[in-house]
Amino acid sequence: MLPGLINRQIQVCKRNVEVMNSVAEGADMAISECQYQFKNRRWNCSTVDSISGTSLKGPVFGKVLERGTREAAFVHAISSAGVAHSVTTACSSGELEKCGCDASVTGNSPDGFQWSGCSDHIDYGSIFSKEFVDAREKRGRKQPNNRSLMNLHNNEAGRRTIESNMKIQCKCHGVSGSCETKTCWRALPTFREVGEKLKEKFDGATEVRTGRIGSRPQLVPLHPYFKPHTDADLVYLDESPDFCENDLKSGSLGTTGRRCNKTSKAIDGCDLMCCGRGYDSYTEELVERCSCKFHWCCYVKCKKCRRTVQINICR
Amino acid sequence: MAGAVLENLSTRKLIALCVVLLLFQAAFFMLGGIIAPSPTTAYPHLTNKCVDTGKHRHKQQWFIPWGEFACEKIVDLEDAIEQEIVANQIVFSIEIPNRPNKMSRWFQYILTVMDITIAYHNENPLGPDPVITMEISLGYRNEGDAPGDWKELIKTTEERKLECTFDRPLIPESNDYTYHCDPMPFMELGSCHHDYYLINIRVPVHEHKDINLDLGKLQDIHIIEIHQNGGFTKVWFALKTFVTPLIIMMTIWFWRRVCALNRQSVLMERTILALGISLIILDLPIEWLTLSVDIPFMLLISDIRQGIFYSMLLSFWIIFAGEHLMDQTERNRLSVYWTQVTAIVFGCTCLFVFDMCERGVQLSNPFYSIWITDTGKNLAMAFIIVAGICASLYFMFLCYMVYRVFRNISVKKTALPAMAKARQLHYQGLIYRFKFFMFFTLLCAAMTVIFFIITQVNEGRWKWGEEHTVEVNSAFFTGVYGMWNIYVFAVLSLYAPSHKDPRKYESTVQNGDVSGSSNEEYELRRTLTDSAATEEPSELYRMTGKTAQD
Repeated sequence: MLPGLINRQIQVCKRNVEVMNSVAEGADMAISECQYQFKNRRWNCSTVDSISGTSLKGPVFGKVLERGTREAAFVHAISSAGVAHSVTTACSSGELEKCGCDASVTGNSPDGFQWSGCSDHIDYGSIFSKEFVDAREKRGRKQPNNRSLMNLHNNEAGRRTIESNMKIQCKCHGVSGSCETKTCWRALPTFREVGEKLKEKFDGATEVRTGRIGSRPQLVPLHPYFKPHTDADLVYLDESPDFCENDLKSGSLGTTGRRCNKTSKAIDGCDLMCCGRGYDSYTEELVERCSCKFHWCCYVKCKKCRRTVQINICR
Repeated sequence: MAGAVLENLSTRKLIALCVVLLLFQAAFFMLGGIIAPSPTTAYPHLTNKCVDTGKHRHKQQWFIPWGEFACEKIVDLEDAIEQEIVANQIVFSIEIPNRPNKMSRWFQYILTVMDITIAYHNENPLGPDPVITMEISLGYRNEGDAPGDWKELIKTTEERKLECTFDRPLIPESNDYTYHCDPMPFMELGSCHHDYYLINIRVPVHEHKDINLDLGKLQDIHIIEIHQNGGFTKVWFALKTFVTPLIIMMTIWFWRRVCALNRQSVLMERTILALGISLIILDLPIEWLTLSVDIPFMLLISDIRQGIFYSMLLSFWIIFAGEHLMDQTERNRLSVYWTQVTAIVFGCTCLFVFDMCERGVQLSNPFYSIWITDTGKNLAMAFIIVAGICASLYFMFLCYMVYRVFRNISVKKTALPAMAKARQLHYQGLIYRFKFFMFFTLLCAAMTVIFFIITQVNEGRWKWGEEHTVEVNSAFFTGVYGMWNIYVFAVLSLYAPSHKDPRKYESTVQNGDVSGSSNEEYELRRTLTDSAATEEPSELYRMTGKTAQD
C-alpha cells in the first residue's frame, strides 16, 4: 500500500480499485502541469523525489505545502483537478465501468441508461475527486481547522475550474438537418487549459483568515475592502517566502543552480531569479534532432544538428 | 362551404369543446415535460489507440478496446516514438456504448460527431486546408454472441475537411497547445438494431499519394454519440398510438357528414379531408415495427411524412382563405390556387431532394454527409435557399390573401344592415367562421414559434421546486405535436357540414326570433341558400357573387 494515504482514502481505494490507475495518472499529470506553469518562477513546483531521488518517502512537494501559502493552494487545486480530469477521461474512453450510470454515485435509476441515459462523465470525475482528495482534510475532526478549510476550498476551486471551462458543443439533427432537434454536450478542456486558468487564479489569489459566521468557522478575506473570493478562486492563509535561499524550515529550495534568461526583465530573468546573487555563464554544445519529417503521430526521419547555446546558472 | 358545425354550435357547447381541447393540450405538454426524459442524449467517447502488431493479417481483424479480446493500447501517442510504432499501425477504436451498458432498439437512431484534438508543433504545423482521410470499419454484435464475434456492417474510406484555428503565435513556445477544431459529422445510422457497435478508424499515411501528410500532431479523436432516449421514444409512441384512432374516427365522421349532404363535395371539404388523411399518415405509429425489424430508412420515412403533413397544412390555409374571400370570382377549383400550391410543392420537392441526398445516401453509407464536400455544401445550401424563397413567397401570398379577406369583411360589415336577413346571416356566418379560424391558427402558429424559441434559447431543463425538473425540449415536441393534432381535430369537427334541420331555421326566422336569443348564443343559422341541399355548390357561388353586388 502506498504510504501517505490516510485510512479513509484506503477505503475509497479498496472500493474502487479500477479507478486508482487514473488517480495516479491524474496526480502525475497535475505535477507535470504544475512544473510547466511554474518553470520560469523561483518556485518551480519541484518535487522531492526529482531532487533527492528518494521516491515517495516523504511528502511529494517537500515542506512547502506545510504552510498555507499560495503555492500550497495551487498544488491542491491542480491535484484535485488532475484527478477529476483523468477519471473523466478514463470514463469516456470506456476504461471504467462505473461511470455515470452508477446509481450509488449519481442517484440515477438502474434502468437509467435505457430510459434517460446516464449523467455526464465529468460529474462522476468530480464526485470521485471530491470523495478521494477531500478525504484527507476530513479525517476524524469534528470541526475543521483553518488549514483544512483552505485546502477544501482550493480543491473545490480546482474542480470548478474544469467544470466552468467545459466547452458546449451542439449538433442539429432535425428534419432535413434543421435545428428542430438539437443535442448539446460538454467537452472536457485540455489539462493545459485548466493549468493556465489555475495559474491565473494563483496570481489573483485572496489572502484569508478564519472568521466565524454563526457557529461555523469560515474563511473571510483578510482585507475587508477587497472583493470577497468566490468558490472558484484560490485562497491562502500565509505569505509565501521569497524562495531565494535554501531554507529547509520553510521548504524553500532556493534558486541556486537554476537556469535563468539573461535578456528577460521578468521573473525568469537572471536579476530576479538569482535574487541579486549573480550568475555563471558558460556555453554548451547541444546535439539535437532537427529538420525532422513528421507524420501525424510519429516523426520518421531526423537529422542530427549541433547547436551552441549559452547557459546562465544562478549562483 | 356549406354551413358548418361551428356556426350552429351554441356558445356553451363551443366553450365546453374548447376547454376539453385545452385540457388535452395541457396533458400533451405535461406528458413531455414531466414524464418523458430529454429527447436525446450525447455521450462523448474518447477513442482508444490500439496498435496493429500485424499478427493476424490473414483475416478481418477487429480492434476491441476493452474486455477479453482487448487490443494492445498506447495511452499517449508520444510513447509511440520510443516503441517504434508508426502512424499506419494505430487504430482508433471505440465500442458503443461503454461497458456495462448495451444499446436498445428504443434508441431509434445513432448519430456520431467527430472531434479531433491536434496539437501545435512548430516543425509540424497543420497544413493549409487540411483533409483527413480515414479507413473506417463499423461492426456490431448482439447479446448472446461470442465476445469477440463482431460482424461487419460497413467498411469505407472517408475524407473530412478540418476547420481549425490556433489562437497563439506560431512560435516554439506554443508547442503542445491545441488547435480549436470544429466538430465534424461522422456517422448517421437510421436504426439502432443491435446491442453493441464497434468503430475502428485508421488514419493511414501514404507519402506518394499525399494522403494525411499535413495533419499536424494529432493527439486524440473524440467521437460523440447521440441517440434518442428510450424513455422519450416510449412516450412518443404512446402519444402517437393514442391520437391515431381519434383522428381516423374524426376523419371518417367528417367525410360521412359530407357524403350525407346529397350534393357533390366542395373544394374546401376535400381539402379538409386531405388534411385529415395527411395527419393520419403522419400519426400512424409504424415506428413500433422498428422494435422487431431493422428499418434503417425509418428516419427518411418520418421526414417524408412530416413533409406531406406540413405541405398539406400550408395548402389548406391558402384554400381556406381563398374560399372566404367573398368576392365575385368563382373558385372551388384547385387550379385557381396554382401559384401558391406550386410554391409549396416546389419548396417541398427541394427539401425532399435534399433529404434524399443526405439521409437517402446514408442508407448505403452511414458515414456520408452532404455537408463535407464543397460542392455538396453549396448544393445543400442552394436547395435550402430555394425552399426558403418558396416559403417566403407562400407567406406573402397568404398574408395578401388574408388581408383581402379582412378588407372584404369590413366592406361587408358596413353593407350588412342593408341586406336581406338571410344574406346577412350568411355573411355573418362566413365572417365568424373565418375569424375563429384565423384566431385559432395564429394561436397554434404562435405557440409553435414561441416554444421553438424557448427550446433554442433555454438550456433544456427547468428546475421546479426541489426535485421536479421540466424537460422543456420534450414538452416542446409532445406539446407541439399534440397541438397540431388538436388543430386538425378541431377543424375536422367544427368545419364539418352541419346537419341541423334547415326548417327549424326557417321557422325561427318566421317567428322573428333571430335577433333575440339565437344571436346571443351565436346560434348563427344556415342561410336559405345553403339549406337548399339539392342545389349544386356552384349555384351557391353564383349566389354569393350576386349578393356581393348588393
